[in-house]
Amino acid sequence: MNLRERLTQRIFPKNPTLVQWWSRDRETTARLISVTLVMSLAAGIRIWGLNQIGFNTDEAVYSGQAAAIAQIPVLKDIFPVFRAHPLLFQFLLALLFNFGVSDLAARLLAVAIGVATVFIVYRLGSLLYGEYVGILAALILAVMPYHVVVSRQVLLDGPMVLCSTLTLYLLARYALTGNPIWLHAAGIGMGLTFLAKETGIILIGAVYSFFALSRDIFVRIQDLIISFVLMVLMILPFPISLWLAGGSKVGQQYLIWQLFRRPNHTWDFYLTTVPEQIGILVIIIAIAGLLLLWGERTWRERLLLWWIIVPVVFFQIWPTKGYQYLLAIAPPFAILASRPLIRWLWIENPLSRNKPMSTTWIRALVGGILIITLLSASWMTIKPATTGAFVAGTGGVPGGREAGEWIQEHVPGEATLLTIGPSMANILQFYGQRKALGLSISPNPLHRNPSYESVNNPDSDIRTNHIQYLVWDSYSAGRSIFFSDRLLELVARFNGRAVHTQTVTVTLEDGTKVDKPVIIIYMVHP
Amino acid sequence: MKHIKLFTSLLIFFSVVTPVLGSTSVSAAQSGNTPKTPIEHLIVVMQQNHTFDNYFGTYPGANGLPKDTCIPVSLSDPKASCVSPFKITNEPITDLSHSDVIFAKQFQSGKMNGFIDALNKLNQNGTLSMGYFDDQDIPYYWNLADQYVLFDNYFSSAHTGSITNRMFWVSGRAGREFNRIPEEGFGNIPTIFDKLQERGISWKFYIRNYDPSLNYRKLKELDYLPPQIQWAPLLSFDRFLDDPELSSRIVDFSEYYKDLENGTLPAVSYVLLLGATEHPISDPGLGMKATQTMLQSLMQSDSWKSSAFLLTYDDWGGWYDHVPPPQVDERGYGFRVPTLLVSPYARQGYIDHTLLDHTSILKFIEENWDIPPLAERDAKSNRFTSAFDFSSSPRLPVFISPTREVPEPRIQPRRIVIYAAYGAAMLFAFMILGRAVTTKEKLHGSSYDTALHEETKS
Repeated sequence: MNLRERLTQRIFPKNPTLVQWWSRDRETTARLISVTLVMSLAAGIRIWGLNQIGFNTDEAVYSGQAAAIAQIPVLKDIFPVFRAHPLLFQFLLALLFNFGVSDLAARLLAVAIGVATVFIVYRLGSLLYGEYVGILAALILAVMPYHVVVSRQVLLDGPMVLCSTLTLYLLARYALTGNPIWLHAAGIGMGLTFLAKETGIILIGAVYSFFALSRDIFVRIQDLIISFVLMVLMILPFPISLWLAGGSKVGQQYLIWQLFRRPNHTWDFYLTTVPEQIGILVIIIAIAGLLLLWGERTWRERLLLWWIIVPVVFFQIWPTKGYQYLLAIAPPFAILASRPLIRWLWIENPLSRNKPMSTTWIRALVGGILIITLLSASWMTIKPATTGAFVAGTGGVPGGREAGEWIQEHVPGEATLLTIGPSMANILQFYGQRKALGLSISPNPLHRNPSYESVNNPDSDIRTNHIQYLVWDSYSAGRSIFFSDRLLELVARFNGRAVHTQTVTVTLEDGTKVDKPVIIIYMVHP
Repeated sequence: MKHIKLFTSLLIFFSVVTPVLGSTSVSAAQSGNTPKTPIEHLIVVMQQNHTFDNYFGTYPGANGLPKDTCIPVSLSDPKASCVSPFKITNEPITDLSHSDVIFAKQFQSGKMNGFIDALNKLNQNGTLSMGYFDDQDIPYYWNLADQYVLFDNYFSSAHTGSITNRMFWVSGRAGREFNRIPEEGFGNIPTIFDKLQERGISWKFYIRNYDPSLNYRKLKELDYLPPQIQWAPLLSFDRFLDDPELSSRIVDFSEYYKDLENGTLPAVSYVLLLGATEHPISDPGLGMKATQTMLQSLMQSDSWKSSAFLLTYDDWGGWYDHVPPPQVDERGYGFRVPTLLVSPYARQGYIDHTLLDHTSILKFIEENWDIPPLAERDAKSNRFTSAFDFSSSPRLPVFISPTREVPEPRIQPRRIVIYAAYGAAMLFAFMILGRAVTTKEKLHGSSYDTALHEETKS
């Protein structure tokens, strides 16, 4: 009996279970503690200041859809149930909203999904490259700004990435065991990915490429067919609910609109936005690892690489671009970056061949730099934006919730507001529970989101008492000076009186803090 | 002569002293002017020339047009045909005669069958009097009735035109001459505004497109009677023209919005919507839109929670109404007029059958602010407090739609399908994944290194 066993016997003399627990080998205990710490960190950074700022426009729309499914009064008449996407996340949110609509609860659900993704990355990394890679990959994803920011918001991309990463895990499991049950389960995972967000279906391209170019992975055609059928079965709720629940026309309109809508960003949007959010160091290490460990290449890297290449190529070609669209590539990048760090440091220390150096210290140094870099970037990203400029999907809109709450309290029911654009209209509709229209919404049905109502003649609508409030906001004004000016013209023409000004505190270059008006609500009457 | 001098001296003395005393008494009285109900602001809009049946004759649940109504074209010819009420739609309307003489001929001592004949004899289109508007023509008013209170037993105070009815509205009396403005004005007939002024209770008479130079004194120079003078009785009282304390309270309608914005809406507001009148040949839509704007502004203000808004019509305008008005004295009542009450305390979708007339408005003011009756009529008139429900908390302001069209319903999907489809999918996924997870198997290698070794070896 060694020293530790003797010690535990002394501490727990009559309890064999506790003795067993205490005597568990150090590695297992360390692993449990590490995973717990990583998960806690993932949860902590996602929860910190989670509800400081209200919803952005996309969050308002998805939460509005969930409220419509849950038949929440007023909101169900403002927000349509069916829009472009399937309803898996909104369905889960609706279950939550049956107990009361809360933006915090909705975001906590998104956070839970984000933390679950971190755990699956740990499992996937462990499965592919061992326990240490799994833990490090989970740690990287836990603090990666890209995943942190998106998984703090009520967006569909977080749940989609959870499901796609689960699919990746199931595929890896199949590749390792050859047991067809995992391939069937991967079909289920891919179906769930689609139900979370339909764009996830493009990852079928990654699966196909992986199997087609991996001679070492044997796949029976009947297993592929079963897997495909299971995926289709999982996807079925989308068309079934559209058809049976009465939303097929809306769905078709969205499809047409999505196919033919104009590009919303320049071609280099992802190139200039995403690498920084994933972490430049993460990408460099991942690529370096692939090159340095070329000799050890197996199907594992192929699987992860296809999971990156297919979405990147697809969304680069696809005219419509969005900040969070490439989130599915974050988990494979985290694993690919962890692999060389762990592998290389375990083999040797090439920098100090003549001067032996503890690999533990190098591990701590490199890992520490990587994690601190990511953590600080995440911290900077989740801090409330006070500049008035923001990219859609990167966070909430300061002042939007407060303005909406003011509207709910002070604006008569059935009143109609006119905002510069639909983004602010969505936010005010969710929090204000009043109808809001966007001045910039095109009267041409081909150039507008089918769920939006255009204002063909705002002048007439004000004269005939159909619109009673005009709302100017600095975010929309920053993006469209033309429509901002048009709105202010209407304010002047109809003797608009500012009845509410929403301010946010901003810090100037000299460090002084000032209250900056971001949303102004004008009352107008003919 | 001596007496005249004394009288003149006294007059001058009192004309100087009274305002001073008046202002003293006002400030003294202000402390005890708390209303007896939660209504701190009463706004009364008096429109022109429509009957209840003309506007709400087909309103469900109200005492509207009886099904078998058919009014003879001629009373002198027993074989003459009759005309049933018909929807006016786009037919042009004219200003039908509505003097006391016409009233008597239409009233026919309670037979109520002379509406067409009386007008035909004046070479007017008597058949038009049987026309009515419905929810498609005056949707906003019908929507207000759906949400607030519609009075279907409210009569004009006098069986004549605007001037006398409006005198009843402000003073509870008919005035000196029947439906005429005397050359010397209405003299010293007390009005509700005198009483309010004495008590220091705020009031205003808002006139849209107000021209301060137009009053009864101007009539000598004019060969017509301008609507402002005809419909704003206070402009025919010397004291309301000469006393700055009083005349300053007759203001342009634009001040209504300023008062709402500044929180200075008076306790009692009378409103004359010149230029937005519903007096035929004007389109009822004009007045309706003005009322909508007024109400929306009221709802947007802090005053809403303690307000009552009453819309009524001075006289019947020659139109048909099937209810014989009770004759309470030699002046009236006249035929029923449409009346709506909008207030956060008003009952919802309520049709009030209480017998009322314009002096019921005075009754409400007098009872709410503890003012003694002005005249016999208002002393005896019924109150319309049954239209309120002061036991409930005030209703939140909700804009009323200006159309009767039910908006195209948003597709309200069968939510059970969504719950069932996605719920079943989740259950199915858990079953398959659960089965996979519980499968006993051995990996190609227990660790990455072992697996890598095995894979690279193979």
